[in-house]
Amino acid sequence: MRAAVVSDYGEPVRIVSLEIDDPGPNEVLVEMRASGVCHSDWHAVSGRLPLPVPMVLGHEGAGVVRKVGSRVRQIQPGDCVVLSWIPSCGSCWWCTDGHPELCERANDAAVNGTLASGDKRVRWDGTPISVFSATGTLADFAVVSERSVVTIPSDMPFEEASLLGCAVQTGVGAALRSPIRPGDTILVVGAGGVGLNIVQGARIRGAAKIIAVDLSATNRELALSLGATLTINPAKDDPLLAILDYTHDRGVDVAFEAVGQVELVALAFNAARRGGTAVAIGVPAPNENLSINAFAFPSQEKTLTGSWYGGSFAPRDIPRLVELWKSGHLRLAPLIKRRYRLDDTPKAFEDLISGRGGRSVIAW
Amino acid sequence: MAIFESPESLHAVLGTFFERLRQVDQAYLVYQIGGTLEFIFNKPSTRIRWIPQPPDSALPFRIAYGEPTEPVLLTFEQDGDTAHRFWLGRVNLQQALARQQVIARGPLSRAMKLIPHLDTIYPLYQEHLVAIGRSDLLEVRR
Ligand SMILES: [Zn+2]
Ligand SMILES: [Zn+2]
Repeated sequence: MRAAVVSDYGEPVRIVSLEIDDPGPNEVLVEMRASGVCHSDWHAVSGRLPLPVPMVLGHEGAGVVRKVGSRVRQIQPGDCVVLSWIPSCGSCWWCTDGHPELCERANDAAVNGTLASGDKRVRWDGTPISVFSATGTLADFAVVSERSVVTIPSDMPFEEASLLGCAVQTGVGAALRSPIRPGDTILVVGAGGVGLNIVQGARIRGAAKIIAVDLSATNRELALSLGATLTINPAKDDPLLAILDYTHDRGVDVAFEAVGQVELVALAFNAARRGGTAVAIGVPAPNENLSINAFAFPSQEKTLTGSWYGGSFAPRDIPRLVELWKSGHLRLAPLIKRRYRLDDTPKAFEDLISGRGGRSVIAW
Repeated sequence: MAIFESPESLHAVLGTFFERLRQVDQAYLVYQIGGTLEFIFNKPSTRIRWIPQPPDSALPFRIAYGEPTEPVLLTFEQDGDTAHRFWLGRVNLQQALARQQVIARGPLSRAMKLIPHLDTIYPLYQEHLVAIGRSDLLEVRR
């Protein structure tokens, strides 16, 4: 099978031919039909997100199940599925505590480049190689844990469904699990794949005013079409002053950072009102530290918190997101700005880092 | 767009305002700080200091531009836009510190002695803008 692979940090993304094993007892083989291209994939290519290489890229995919392992009961060949990059085990301390997005075993798998079972099912010239976060969706096929797949309606377009796997769960989930109240004013710093879905989640939650900050004109237009009421181009206007003008110096109720730049996390915190909350969602490099005003925590009762995968648990959340999509509350098609074939994945990454805006999807 | 596009344009407005402040009744408040007060500006990047002079001097402090060559007691760092809004009376210092719009270094309590008098100083900045022909700067976007 073909797959988009990073052979070493800083090396160009290559399409190579790999062998794939049959699924293990609790695993399934998925024929990929669509896979989004996410900034996290690029961070793995550049080494900013240190994951074991060589590695099959991609973690935001949808496809059709072709084979199931001997112990798989819930999933059948022919099922249409979305892949989750956190195959929560359901039994570790974090899963039991109600935080499946922090599942210890899923985290170990991601860090080690394996599946949830601890095994690797993809080989390059006979040698097992890693996959991105227990998935590896930028390939003709992926073997994943049965806990990594959630079925979707057979008439749902795969390209739209694929986005549920990362950007939508992360963005909408972060908004739905934040303290947004109906009528609130919300800030979204970074209106890319995740940020645009925070905008949608905030709108679904009943936010009255939604401010989106992004350098890309495409992303600002998309944000407006998905529910933002004000967009700010930080190359033109000072975002904090513009936000304070818009909120009559009060600041926003809830602010989200969806880029992963420490200065922008500070911007989100600084833009939050007294008693407000800032949520860090973008992923900085593991060795980056943040400087913010310490007096603001007690004297202004501000909260700075984080969100990983939007606090999502795919078996619970994907069906709900599908219902929101069916009812028109959640829009997926407008998010997709470019389509590529798997062989053109390197070009998709080039376009991603050039900041052209909107989501890129590889389609089969 | 930034209010001050260059250090020169900031000096022409805020610098001349500070020069003028040396001649008003409140100028003697500078002695309550007890040392040099420096404003570090970003966007545009420049520095202006208030340097207290001996009590028998004609004016209580002098204005210096650029890198300091003498010891500085207290600094306030901010963007040109924030500084302009501050002197218009549109910035709450406590809020601005919490939002990192203003970064203060040194004994902040010394500067706090000026705070109760700011309400009498803000109108002087507005008068100054009119006097130098920059009444276009009186309104900030809302
Ligand atoms: Zn992602
Ligand atoms: Zn677990």
